[in-house]
Amino acid sequence: MPVRTITLCYRKIMDASATRPWDKLVWDDSYAEFRLQAQTFNPGNRYRSFGEILHYVPNAERLHFLVSGAVTGYVQQLNERMPDVLDNLGRQFLKFNRFQFELINSDLQDKSKHQVAVNFVSEPLRWHDTVGPYLVVSEARPAAAPTGEILTHLVQLQPFLSIYSLLPAAPDASANAG
Amino acid sequence: MERKHFLKSLLMGAASAPVLLSACGKDTVSPTSSTTTTGTTGTTGTGSGSCTVAPTETEGPFPTKVPASYVRSDIKDGKTGYELGITISITNSNSSCAALAGALVDIWHCDAEGNYSEYGGSGMQATNYQAVHFLRGRQTTDANGQVKFTSIFPGWYSGRATHIHVHVYAANGTSLKVTQIAFPEGTGSAVAAVNGYAKGLSGYTANASDNVFSDGVSLEMAAVTGSTTAGFQLAISLAVPA
Repeated sequence: MPVRTITLCYRKIMDASATRPWDKLVWDDSYAEFRLQAQTFNPGNRYRSFGEILHYVPNAERLHFLVSGAVTGYVQQLNERMPDVLDNLGRQFLKFNRFQFELINSDLQDKSKHQVAVNFVSEPLRWHDTVGPYLVVSEARPAAAPTGEILTHLVQLQPFLSIYSLLPAAPDASANAG
Repeated sequence: MERKHFLKSLLMGAASAPVLLSACGKDTVSPTSSTTTTGTTGTTGTGSGSCTVAPTETEGPFPTKVPASYVRSDIKDGKTGYELGITISITNSNSSCAALAGALVDIWHCDAEGNYSEYGGSGMQATNYQAVHFLRGRQTTDANGQVKFTSIFPGWYSGRATHIHVHVYAANGTSLKVTQIAFPEGTGSAVAAVNGYAKGLSGYTANASDNVFSDGVSLEMAAVTGSTTAGFQLAISLAVPA
């Protein structure tokens, strides 16, 4: 197959069952911020769920962005390392600097309904081949080794991990800008 | 209703599958009970025989509690323009206009070109995590009911006079007031001195024609002093029912 340059997206979902520290902080703080910001779209407290607000109030989709302010500090603390997604050696290997925060569900009176996602977009990868359920990828930067050896990772196709974008083939400036 | 529950159970199943998987991995392969290194490399629980590698990783990250990125007094985030110091005093209209301490004050405004951080890329597209909330800030009022921000003089965009958005919340988070700050205009004003930045003021909407301010702007009008060389200072007092 031709080598393609791609980015991967990992959609990390956090809900009431979150237990790991990062997940729980994101979940807690995004709920507090949602309760603040939702008031702009909910005069008189007519609605209690995010779904209702989104359905009935014009421009309420702005809440995704407005609530994301509570999350960016935690995204920063990851130091551009994408969480959870491991290569077949069991190591984290994906780097990111783009993300998108997403409210999935929430309820102004029932925190247990609060459910959010952080979508992480990886830096560009070269997709060399596919072996079974694994993508053979390498960093998109030109290989440094004079022998031409390219170090690769095997990453398994799995739920909540997807190819986010296709980039122009050559590992040129735009592919590395990320 | 049944369909709704069915769909919900599907969603919950999908969402919790990776957790189950990594929990299994921890029990059988990775005895260290690190709470932060779990991950998934494989398909989830289909029993198709595709094995998954358990995570074997250095522990981390070690997140600490951080306030929302809005909580800061310098809201410039690298945006350039004439510096603008903003002082907002909040008083309580239900308590003889006494200073209101402990209130949250959110402000946001457009940059020198008239663009907000919300628009142009950060909506439904993934965006760089740095500076996505430029020119937005939150401060808590002190004992004098005051908050201070450092920003740049706002530009303008079609249909609106120069303005800054304000949302005041009580200490417990209850919304008390959503309003906007207006700028004096005309000869000798800061708006005239800044002259709309690169755009000029051709097509500018004056306060009297502005659809927000045209019904009377006196209670929203700030005092703005300064110059393009020394920077500008804005002060306003807003009464809210707390």
